[in-house]
Amino acid sequence: MNNPEPIHEHIDQRGKGVYLHPLPVRIWHWLNALGFILLILTGLQIRYVDLFRVIDFELAVQLHNWIGIAIVANWFLWFFYYMTSDKISNYLPDFNVSSFFKRYFEQAQYYSYGIFVGEKRPHDVQPHDKFNPMQKLTYQFIMLITVPVTFFSGLMMWKTDYFEGLIEMVGGIRVVNTIHVIMFILFVFFIFLHAYMGMLGAKWSSHYKEMITGYEEPHD
Amino acid sequence: MRTVFGFGALILSLALFGAGPALAQESDQESVANPDAKCVKCHSRGLKKKLEDGTTMSLKVDVDTFATSVHQVIGCTGCHRDVAKGKHPSREPIASARAYSLKHNQTCSQCHAAKSRDYEDSIHAQLVAAGSDEAPLCSDCHSAHAIQPQQTYQPTTGEPCSNCHSDIFTAYEGSVHGYAYIQGDWFRGAGVRAPICADCHSAHDISAVASVGFLVDTCMSCHDEARAAHEQWLPNAPMHLQSVGCAACHSPDAGLRVNLQFWDQAAEAPIGPGEKYAELREELATIADSDDELSSLELWRLIRLTRSLGGSESDIVLLGRLEVAHGMDAHRLQDSSQATRACENCHESESRAFETVTVSITRPDGRRERFDADSAVLSSVISVDSISGFYAPGGTRIKLLDYLLVLAALGGLAVPVAHIALGKIVRRRSKKH
Repeated sequence: MNNPEPIHEHIDQRGKGVYLHPLPVRIWHWLNALGFILLILTGLQIRYVDLFRVIDFELAVQLHNWIGIAIVANWFLWFFYYMTSDKISNYLPDFNVSSFFKRYFEQAQYYSYGIFVGEKRPHDVQPHDKFNPMQKLTYQFIMLITVPVTFFSGLMMWKTDYFEGLIEMVGGIRVVNTIHVIMFILFVFFIFLHAYMGMLGAKWSSHYKEMITGYEEPHD
Repeated sequence: MRTVFGFGALILSLALFGAGPALAQESDQESVANPDAKCVKCHSRGLKKKLEDGTTMSLKVDVDTFATSVHQVIGCTGCHRDVAKGKHPSREPIASARAYSLKHNQTCSQCHAAKSRDYEDSIHAQLVAAGSDEAPLCSDCHSAHAIQPQQTYQPTTGEPCSNCHSDIFTAYEGSVHGYAYIQGDWFRGAGVRAPICADCHSAHDISAVASVGFLVDTCMSCHDEARAAHEQWLPNAPMHLQSVGCAACHSPDAGLRVNLQFWDQAAEAPIGPGEKYAELREELATIADSDDELSSLELWRLIRLTRSLGGSESDIVLLGRLEVAHGMDAHRLQDSSQATRACENCHESESRAFETVTVSITRPDGRRERFDADSAVLSSVISVDSISGFYAPGGTRIKLLDYLLVLAALGGLAVPVAHIALGKIVRRRSKKH
C-alpha cells in the first residue's frame, strides 16, 4: 500500500501514521491471540482438573486439540505471508551483532528510563522495520522456536500412535509432555508481558489501535 | 458189564479230550473280550497300599466309572504298562500319592504328546518343577480313571479349575462373562461364546497371569471390535489400550496400581531372568529387605544400572501399565455400560489409580516379582528419564512444573507492576531535578 507523502514524521495529510500492519498480519495476530488464550485456558483445565472444573476434561482435550490445529494453520498463514512478502525484513536477523546489541541495550535503557521522562524512542518504526531490537529478538524466538516446538510436541501428544517413532526418538511421551508444558509456561509469562508492552505507546491504547487499524498512532 | 463201563470211559475220555481245547478256547475268548478282568478282580475290591509317608493309598478303581470313561478302549494296561505278569503286585515302595501321580504324569505324554508339551510350558508345570505339591498334574484335572470328553470340562461349576481357584471362580460367577455363561446366554453376535476359564487362560499352556501383554490380546481375540469402539470416544485410544489393562476400567470397583516393568525394547522382552541382570535382582532384593519403597532417585539409579548391564544392543525402559491390583478383580468384569468412562478418574493429581506403584522384573517362570515404589515416582522431575514412556496428563503431572508455572504467572504480573512502580520513581526524581 502506498502511503501519502508525510507532512510530519510518520503523519500524513489525513493525520494518519505510517501503515505498519497489513490486514493479513492483523487477522493473523488477533486469531493467534484468541487461540493462545483459549489454548492456555483449556491447557490449564486439562492439567488441573482436580483444582477446578469449568468444563470436563474430555471437552477440554477436544477443544485444545482443535484450537491447536487452527493455530498451526494460522502459523502457516503467517509464515507463507512473510515468505512471499517484502515485509519479511521485519523478522530477518541482524547479522551485525555488536550493532544489534548496542541498539538492544539502548532500547532497554529507553524502557527503563527514557520512556518515563519523555525521551524520543531510539527505534524509528517503519513498515519494513517495525520491531525494535528487543521486540525483534523476542518475536524471532517466539515465532521460529517456541511456537513450532509447542506445535510439534502438541501434535505428537494428539496422535501418539501416528508419531510413535518420533516420540521414541525424543525420549518418550513424558519427555514430549514436559517440553510442551515448559513452552506453555513460557507463553503464560510472555502473554502477560506482551499485553503490558502493548500499552507502552503514546497512549496505553495506541498499539492496540494500531493492531486494529493498521496505522501507526501519532506520537507527541 | 466191564465192556459197558469201558465203552463209557472211552466215550467220556473222548468227550473230555475234545472239550479240552473247546474249554481252553472259551477261556481265551473270555480274556480277549475282557482283558481288564484280571485287574478288576482285585482292584474292584477295597485294596489299599501303605505308603512311605505314612498315608494309605486306595487301590480300588470304580469299574463302572472307568467303563464309561474315554480310556475304557485302551484298558488298564494302556496306561499301566509297567504291570507285568509275575511282577504284580510290585513290592516297590511308593513315597506318597503325589509322588505316584508325578511318576505317572509322563504316561499321558505317550499318547497326548502335544498337550504334554503345552503343559510343560505352563505355569503349573513350572510350579511342579519348583517342588510345589499343590500345582496340578494331569490326573488332578482330568482324574485318573474317570476321564471324560473335552466338552464336559466346561460346566457351570468351573471344575476342575475351581477345585483350586474357588475364590476366583466365585468372582467370575458375578462377572458379565460368568453371568452370561451360567444363565446359558452363551452367544453374542456371530456365535461368540461367553468365556470360561480355559477360554482366556487356555487349558494346558497356562501362562503366568502377569505375562506382559498377555491379557489384552486375549480380550481382543473375542472383542475384536473393541479397538474401533474405543476410538469413537477415547482420545489416544491406542495408547490407552497399550498402557491400561482392560480390567482396570471394566472392573469399576477394582483396586488399581501402576506397574513399572523393566523391559528391553530392542529385544521386546521383559528383564529379569538370567545371569545378565543378577546385579539388578540383588539391588532390588536389598531394597525390598529394608522394607523401604523405591524412591525416584533409586529408580533412576536402577535404570542406569540396568542399561549398563544390558549393553549397547539393549534399549532398557520401564514399561508402565495401569492394572488391577488383585487378580481377583480381573475376574469381576462388568458390562461395558458399567465401565469407567470419566477421564477425571485417572487424569487428576489425587487419582486413586496412581496411589499404588510397583516395579517388577520377570522370574524365569514368567511370573513377575514386584517391589513397592513410592507413588511420588510418577510425578517426580527425575522420572522424566526413568519413566519416560508412561504419562497421564494431569494425573502424573510433574510437580516442579506446577511451581514454575506459578512463578511464570507471578513474574508476568510482577514485571508490569515493577515497571509502573519504576516509572513513578523516575518521574518523581526527574521533577525534583
